[in-house]
Amino acid sequence: MKINLKTFVLPFQYNVDKSLEYYKILEKLLNRNEYFVVGKNLIRSDALDKCLGKANFTADYLSKESLIVKVFRSCKSHAIIKNIETSRAMNIPGIEAIITARDIPGINQIGYALPDQPLLNDTKVHYIGDPIALICAQNEEAAQKAEESILIEYEELKSVFDISAALNPDSPLIHTDGNVAVTTKIRKGNIEKGFKNSNVIIEDTYWSPYQEHMCLETDGAYAFPDGTNKITVICESQSPHLVREKVAAILGWKLNQVRIIQALTGGAFGKKDDTGPILAAYAALSAKTLGKPSACIYDRIEMFKTTPKRFPAKFIYKSGADKNGNLTAIQVYITLECGAYANRAPFWLWRQTAHAAGPYEVDNVAVDGRAVYTNNVYGGSFRGFGNLALHFAVEQQIDKLAYELCMDPLDFRLKNVLKVGSRTTCDQILDHSVGIEKCLKSIEDASKWKEKRVPIKNGNTLKGWGIGCAYHGNSTSRSTPDWSAASLLMNIDGSFIYRTGICELGQGSPFGHVKIVAEILGANIESIKIEIPDTDSTPDSKPTHGSRGLMMGGTAAADAAIQLREKIIKIAAEMLDCSLKLVECKESYAYNKENLNKKIPFNEIAEELHIRGLNPGAYGFYASPKRNYDEETGLGINYSVYTFASTIAEVEVDTETGEISVLKIWPSMDVGKAIDPIIIEGQIHGALSQGIGFTLMENVQLHNGNILNPSFKDYIVPSAFDTPEVDDPILIEEAYKHSAFGVKGVGEPSIISIVPAIVNAIYHATGIRFNTLPITAERMHKALKEVKK
Amino acid sequence: MIFELNGKNVSFEAIPSLTLLDLLRNEFGLTSVKKGCDQGECGACTVLLDGMPVNSCLILSPQVEGKRVTTIDGLSENPLMIELRDAFMENGAVQCGFCTPGMLLSSYSLLRDNRNPTEEEVKMAIEGNICRCTGYVKIIEAVLDAAVRIGPD
Repeated sequence: MKINLKTFVLPFQYNVDKSLEYYKILEKLLNRNEYFVVGKNLIRSDALDKCLGKANFTADYLSKESLIVKVFRSCKSHAIIKNIETSRAMNIPGIEAIITARDIPGINQIGYALPDQPLLNDTKVHYIGDPIALICAQNEEAAQKAEESILIEYEELKSVFDISAALNPDSPLIHTDGNVAVTTKIRKGNIEKGFKNSNVIIEDTYWSPYQEHMCLETDGAYAFPDGTNKITVICESQSPHLVREKVAAILGWKLNQVRIIQALTGGAFGKKDDTGPILAAYAALSAKTLGKPSACIYDRIEMFKTTPKRFPAKFIYKSGADKNGNLTAIQVYITLECGAYANRAPFWLWRQTAHAAGPYEVDNVAVDGRAVYTNNVYGGSFRGFGNLALHFAVEQQIDKLAYELCMDPLDFRLKNVLKVGSRTTCDQILDHSVGIEKCLKSIEDASKWKEKRVPIKNGNTLKGWGIGCAYHGNSTSRSTPDWSAASLLMNIDGSFIYRTGICELGQGSPFGHVKIVAEILGANIESIKIEIPDTDSTPDSKPTHGSRGLMMGGTAAADAAIQLREKIIKIAAEMLDCSLKLVECKESYAYNKENLNKKIPFNEIAEELHIRGLNPGAYGFYASPKRNYDEETGLGINYSVYTFASTIAEVEVDTETGEISVLKIWPSMDVGKAIDPIIIEGQIHGALSQGIGFTLMENVQLHNGNILNPSFKDYIVPSAFDTPEVDDPILIEEAYKHSAFGVKGVGEPSIISIVPAIVNAIYHATGIRFNTLPITAERMHKALKEVKK
Repeated sequence: MIFELNGKNVSFEAIPSLTLLDLLRNEFGLTSVKKGCDQGECGACTVLLDGMPVNSCLILSPQVEGKRVTTIDGLSENPLMIELRDAFMENGAVQCGFCTPGMLLSSYSLLRDNRNPTEEEVKMAIEGNICRCTGYVKIIEAVLDAAVRIGPD
């Protein structure tokens, strides 16, 4: 049956005023001068268990009897597999099975966007670390011996380790359809005319490299049989329902034969979106084949060497502006390095393409993108999803234009930023929720920007200030329909169970949902328990990515809460003997607003609900408003809404050592509506830190497809000593009309804006531009020497 | 072999190659001690050995014979740890929670010996505990806040 998406567009099917936008619906429905919990700082419901060490992550669930699943991997970067010899390994005591591609009962395919990625390779390997077999062992020693005993006969092929080599016509093909996995395009206005009307034109090339997530918890999955025709997997992911779909396909089973339980996850940042299904499938294959509990837990080195990283990308930019400081045209060529598999590359590249002008209005735009395979480790999801690299380039272009025009970089941005009524890169008219101008002005004041326009030289140090802006489309790209779901159950004692497939990864999104639910129900926040996502009972909320967890998932939560509220109010009105309008609920009591003497606790209402045979549960569903998009020009309503951010950084450069210190940061973000300011601040701080790491220190070193520094020791991430002073983040609230309370996603924009802010501050301090990252002390030192500073 | 674990004497069969981390997790079920790198670099496996914070992945189990090992589980009722924990929760210093037990133990050790630390001293105390979520800002704030809460001796 073809689903008519139109029927999903309106979020409500019951007794609320459908002519109103969602955030107005809630305002009108609740009619409160001040919200009870929304906008307040509360202690997260998961904080105590995490502080007590009682929070369980995947590896904490393992039974002692569990088999070890170890992945046997390719040591070649590009080769044909002629033969896989496992018989010697099979005879090692303690080895229960060696699983290869031929043992996969279902479809041997795990590719996300394109079917180019077998779960286990038996014909060809595409990078060092490509999986070939699963060793299922009773202990580590046996697994190690088996690893040394599996023999692969390879026929080596020429490898390509960079995008230019991959694009060479003589280059070997990594996959059958050529080394270009996908292309994108935007054509808006008249690019020739735009450049003709430009008084200044800046052309430059930028390279944004790999970044490793360095989630503190390593990847893991633990699978055990549930009878003979069902497998349960406890694992980390960002979408338990996607994991279920992939695992079921690999096992050749129905969806209801696979149960995925999402364990608490020790940081994800995009990584677990990609690794979740893979590790779950490994563990599940062993559990199904052997009928025994099986665990696949990576160590740090394996995780670093073999799992997806931030996709590298090259940008060739040409940007023009007229003498009055108005942007006139941009032309951009993007080449994304996929690595061995496309994985998320089409979506990543599209996001870069669709945001190519930055958060500015430019009438004439031409963008061409392509994603190219190489024999390096493959790329994948990572906070900022394409937009970090893109803004690293576009925000330097903007800065360069401003300096070229002798304009203050902040004033130049203010003149060109998107405003209500502006058109985006993709010609999407923004009719509301555009807070970038306010973001900029707020940090201009907070940082006293105008007083900091002259860099300061003090002995061996140079101090400078720079600015970076960002915008990031929430939810799916290219107007792909997006929806989310949630469920809420009132127990007979007046407590609630809330279910969402939006995962707790540290960001606290599910707690934000619960605050929305508590606000709408007037329930005690402690009375609502979040069930850990379990595909046997949790609705499919779609993934926890794309800045959609709270914006989409939280609005589905609101939908469920509104339905249940209606029933609670109805019963309360009868019990209180007053009209529906007079009933208010607070702290899990219902009362008559005009007669506060009588209060009915929620447990009595819950009992009455059950006695009267009213359904004590609600299934919430929310779909984005319908969007459209033209394939030919790339124009249309690509994203439902955008989150905006701007950040100012103060940096100090030591001219003797080249060492760069970020001294202070002033962040701002248009969050739509702050459901929990302290959690948002935490998101901003964490993103700033990862951005500082990416800009100044994190450096994945690759040589012929080999990663040379796969550890915390050699891949340096920020420690407490790398924490700058951070001014109180300024939260602008330009509500989004179609989400609960107006929320927008907040996890990603700060990492996007901090990177150019630092790079532009370094330029301000030293007069040196860097077109690639990281800007290590060594590189800085060398650059200073060249300009003799 | 015998050692003191969270205030109680315990015995175990000595395995020379077994790390304290694996001993605590696998033999004593103390999963609050986390394995983030197994190379002594991330601090998620921090425990107190005779009161001093150490990476339990770098200690071989025979080394703890006759010593005092404290994990977060052993301090759940400790007044200083309760203040520190409350400060972490109220200041938003907890995100994914994977580094939290180790971070709390390093911070506890600091405040136990120095009730009025400077920001630099806090940073020094938690330098070996990597947190990828918070950017440390709220963790540092929380430790300083806990110092204010407990006050001078």
